[in-house]
Amino acid sequence: MQDFYNILPLILVASGIVISVVIEILSDNSEKILPWFSALVLLSASVYSIMLMNNTGTIFNGMLATGGNVYIFHFIFTIGAMLIILGSIDYIKKYGSYFGEYYILILNAVLGMMIMASARDLFMVFIGLELMSICFYVLAGINRKKLNANEASLKYVLLGAFASGFVVYGIALIYGTAQTTSIDKIIAGFVPLSHNILFITGLFLFLVGFSFKIAAFPFHQWVPDVYQGSATTISGLMSTGGKAAAFSVLIILLSAVAPSNANVFRPYFAVIATLSMIYGSIVAISQNNLKRMLAYSSIAHAGYMSIGLASGNYESIAGIIFYLAAYTFMNIGAFIVISMIEGENDSKLQLSDYVGLNAKNPKLAALMALFMFALSGLPPFAGFFGKYYVFISAIEANLTWLAIVGVISSVISVYFYLRVIVLMYFKEPETSVAVHNSNYGVLAAVISALFVIVFGLFPGTLLDLITSFLK
Amino acid sequence: MNIYDIVFYLFAAITLVSAFFVVTTRNIVYSAFNLLFTFFGVAGLYVLLGADFVAVVQIMVYVGGILILILFGVMLTNKITNVQIKTGTLQVIPAVIGVLLLAGVLIFKVFLGTEWKSVKTDIPVKTTAFALGKLLITDYVLIFELLGILLLVVLIGAATIARREK
Amino acid sequence: MNIIPIEYYLVLSAFMFAVGITGVLIRKNAIVVFMCIELMLNSANLALVTFSSYLGNAAGQVFVFFVMTVAAAESAVGLAIIIAIFRNKLTVNIDEINIFKW
Repeated sequence: MQDFYNILPLILVASGIVISVVIEILSDNSEKILPWFSALVLLSASVYSIMLMNNTGTIFNGMLATGGNVYIFHFIFTIGAMLIILGSIDYIKKYGSYFGEYYILILNAVLGMMIMASARDLFMVFIGLELMSICFYVLAGINRKKLNANEASLKYVLLGAFASGFVVYGIALIYGTAQTTSIDKIIAGFVPLSHNILFITGLFLFLVGFSFKIAAFPFHQWVPDVYQGSATTISGLMSTGGKAAAFSVLIILLSAVAPSNANVFRPYFAVIATLSMIYGSIVAISQNNLKRMLAYSSIAHAGYMSIGLASGNYESIAGIIFYLAAYTFMNIGAFIVISMIEGENDSKLQLSDYVGLNAKNPKLAALMALFMFALSGLPPFAGFFGKYYVFISAIEANLTWLAIVGVISSVISVYFYLRVIVLMYFKEPETSVAVHNSNYGVLAAVISALFVIVFGLFPGTLLDLITSFLK
Repeated sequence: MNIYDIVFYLFAAITLVSAFFVVTTRNIVYSAFNLLFTFFGVAGLYVLLGADFVAVVQIMVYVGGILILILFGVMLTNKITNVQIKTGTLQVIPAVIGVLLLAGVLIFKVFLGTEWKSVKTDIPVKTTAFALGKLLITDYVLIFELLGILLLVVLIGAATIARREK
Repeated sequence: MNIIPIEYYLVLSAFMFAVGITGVLIRKNAIVVFMCIELMLNSANLALVTFSSYLGNAAGQVFVFFVMTVAAAESAVGLAIIIAIFRNKLTVNIDEINIFKW
């Protein structure tokens, strides 16, 4: 019974899915009930993931892990998705896909992410990954009358399925050498296994598959199109929850082998990190569409986080988790503000639509400015400390050059984030078109802003908590 | 050259040749039919490996399910079946070189370079279904349940995308 | 009797995997790309069954069922998306489905 209590967050979300399917069938106006129901489910799951944080252990025959950093991830996923649902209530009417299924699919995607973070078996990881990805494929194309959304969805499903081919083949080779797919057993025998070229090849293919999911450089081609073509709220969820879930798997693999055996991964992640940071920051400068700009910035952020994977010590793992928590709230906030400013038929997404926003709607302009400051990594917001911890860990791991590349590309990226702020505050608006406003959206953005500020003011509290679970 | 060798080479040849034609044929219906032979070839290899139940499931799920689904996809988008499908010349050469490199490393360095200390077990004559069923509802029951949720999602998702207008 | 060496099966699966990747990279028709992804998943299944049989560990064959289920799920969703895009645009060739500039 204690086991079932320990995975209450997962059980809440899973039973929430079943109940929401029943609501969808029985009720005629499920699209009015389901957002509140699913937000409630996610909120209670997040509350329980905080309450049960100290009950660390594994359950179901070593299949799932509970407590500790796993539940920090669960908190990130559930709160992030809840904010997205609040932001969606008014947005999806405007977007033209006012269906109850939207919320069921979001709940399912969250379940997949939570499974990925909890999983202690490679096939469990794979099923979680597919559960999340398939929901995202559908959510990306949920408005099937829009060609943009169709195209985003098709590109995502083709490249996502391609990536899962790599993941499965990698798992097959790992199973062939380790004779098990249990992550704990693989880690226990990691040192002899790491001399086996078959095992390393399997691990490499697995990492390639996951590099697609974290949107790192050579595997990034789908990112800009998918983020631009999907509904804005869904792009917000994909870029934060999806990325965090993929990173949680990489962190599990890494934290067990850190710090002694990290060298196996180092060259791969160092290359990926360098390329993603530089490519993402430079290409983002030339973008005029805000969603596309944030997509390239998301590639750059995947690069900064990969620095932590390359350095592979406990500080870097704590740094990545902190960074992911901070990034989730700043990026979700930014996407929700964009979704409120967006007009019908994908209009008002260009930089020019943000000229003089302060005069039109000071509330949204202030929120957007805060998220842009945080994303650019300027102190005192949460984004600064995320980058700071990761860079410090790289220096400790004798990867100073990687930290320097990171600082340089952060400086480049300040340009395109601050450009948005300059346009909003220091330019006069050319037109005086009213901005759509949504109370729920503003509420979600304010909550994200509070998290960004609190993490920025008291970074040590969260970091100490994460570090205490790592030891 | 005994009977096992002959059967192995036969099925391996069927699998590889038809897999090659899936990729190279210009007509999408021929691709689908070559895929059918690939699935059958792999099923034959499963039998040779002593995995009889998996072989049956392979034929039922892949041939009876996935391939039929793909053929429906071909028919529902039939206007393109007769269109000459362009095979871009720009991408072919780098793609083939990259893949050959990967396959070369995988085959010569990894598979042929590893010292296999495999146990020389006899292929069990009895069916594997009992052992598989037991594993499926004991050790891996959680994954089994999650697959149920996954299929529910697919039903909802596919219906959401392909449904008629309200 | 396992008189056929394990390498033979693994090399075959590596060939299938490589053919699948090549197809995904060079073919333009989305449905053919799906077939090539099925080839990749099948090659992984072949490797799993081979290892399972030669190591005397039945778990590998259970994983094959999981991969099959996921393959079926992916192709169902993928074909729904392809049909949706075909209704809107009347093409399933990836190079023509390109309103975004890369």
